Amino acid sequence: MFVFDWGGLYHQPALGWLTAGVVTTLAVTVAAVPLASILAVVIAALRLERGLLRWSAIAVIELFRNTPLLVQLLFWYFAGFAALPRSWKRWIADSHPWAVLPPGVPLVTPEFLVAVWGLAVFTAVFLAEEIRTGLSAVPAGQIEAARAQGFSRIDVLRFVLLPQAFLNAWQPLVGQFLNLMKLSSLASSIGLGEITYQARTIESYNAHAVEAFAVGTVLYLIIGLAMGRLLIWLGPQRPGSRRRAAAEAHLVETGGDAL
Amino acid sequence: MVPVENAAPKIEFRGVAKRHGAVQAIRGVDLTIRSGEVVVICGPSGSGKSTLIRLINGLETISDGEILVDGALVSSLRGKALRSLRTRIGFVFQQFNLYAHLTAEENVSLALRRITGLTPAAARDRALGLLDRVGLADKPASFPHQLSGGQQQRVAIARALAMNPDILLFDEPTSALDPEMIGEVLGVMREVARSGITMIVVTHEMGFARQLADRIVFLDEGRVLEEASPEQFFSAPVHERTRRFLSQIRSPLHTTDG
Repeated sequence: MFVFDWGGLYHQPALGWLTAGVVTTLAVTVAAVPLASILAVVIAALRLERGLLRWSAIAVIELFRNTPLLVQLLFWYFAGFAALPRSWKRWIADSHPWAVLPPGVPLVTPEFLVAVWGLAVFTAVFLAEEIRTGLSAVPAGQIEAARAQGFSRIDVLRFVLLPQAFLNAWQPLVGQFLNLMKLSSLASSIGLGEITYQARTIESYNAHAVEAFAVGTVLYLIIGLAMGRLLIWLGPQRPGSRRRAAAEAHLVETGGDAL
Repeated sequence: MVPVENAAPKIEFRGVAKRHGAVQAIRGVDLTIRSGEVVVICGPSGSGKSTLIRLINGLETISDGEILVDGALVSSLRGKALRSLRTRIGFVFQQFNLYAHLTAEENVSLALRRITGLTPAAARDRALGLLDRVGLADKPASFPHQLSGGQQQRVAIARALAMNPDILLFDEPTSALDPEMIGEVLGVMREVARSGITMIVVTHEMGFARQLADRIVFLDEGRVLEEASPEQFFSAPVHERTRRFLSQIRSPLHTTDG
């Protein structure tokens, strides 16, 4: 019968590797989520335009939605990164002591930057489609009302459509953010030292494969559970929800100074 | 105050036509609306009433002819100039069209903050004042879905007034309301009409037309069939089509053509 032997994990160097793995997974997620969101809003907005802009948005969505993320990461790492200006590559290759997280996780590396970019682009096209669904749920009358008030197209999007799209689509959006976190495991293939990469390192170091991947799985689970709850809590609130009502009561008390 | 009949032209329609594909919604309308005038537009459904007022602020584009607001050709305005015209024209919709994610106060103050650039506190003050004016001083924090139809339409009127427009357009403002809520909205419209603002109201509320309109325009199949003072319109309509419309509105079960 198989006997678990956890000793191979909580001794150095394995423990340090796992810690670095968790920090890297968190860092890549924290960096890629906002980037993906910005890209998604741009793609969704272009998707609403007519003509060439619309078709290029559709092309980008279809390209990144229908090809494997692993292939995309390898493409960005080998082809994309190589195409960067030489001065950028030289700068990235330099040492950046200010950009190192404890316990020694460097952030300005080709692996980290490519992982953030690749995950963000891949996630953005899915987010863009969720946002578009959220946008189409907003009644057209509100767009007319905003145009009649003198809002420009971009301001209608900013102040009327997007807030409601995010509200309507927040649950599926959170699902995509969780996917991003889990898919960061694929960045182990380009050498990013995240959780999966570190579990494999431990496996090749002391052959404790089952224990290492069991711990890795639990770490993803914990991060995912925490992240999902945090994003729901931070996310837009339904009009009239309890937390929003409390915030508004506070606003009334303070006479709106917080605005 | 200058008597309405001597006031300067505010809105002029000159040979206005509008086609929706093959459908001819407006066929050659000439109409001048003077500053401070309250004009009611009525007519059978499909006669082009809504289209006519939607052309004024460029919500729809004109196919032929021209519309001038304060002497400026609406169809020549683009981008910023068109948006600036729209801030001077309040529009109230049949379906209210309030921003669902914003409270009543935020619905009214959004344009003040984002277009006029008022500080949040100043915009809020003005919004609360307008909500008070439409009788909703106790509802600033309510969301549209928490308000009745009549209350939503009053918020919409406050929103239309927010930018201090000199023209207000109403597109069947009471048609989507339950009967017991029509009165509260008409009450607010009456108060606004007396403030001297130029108002064009598409409505079937003949009581409102009789009391407050300076002029009634009867539209049929995209043409102005009759244009008269309320007294004349109700007591001595010229056209057979107008008489039939009026008798149908007065007693809907009575039909003259059947």
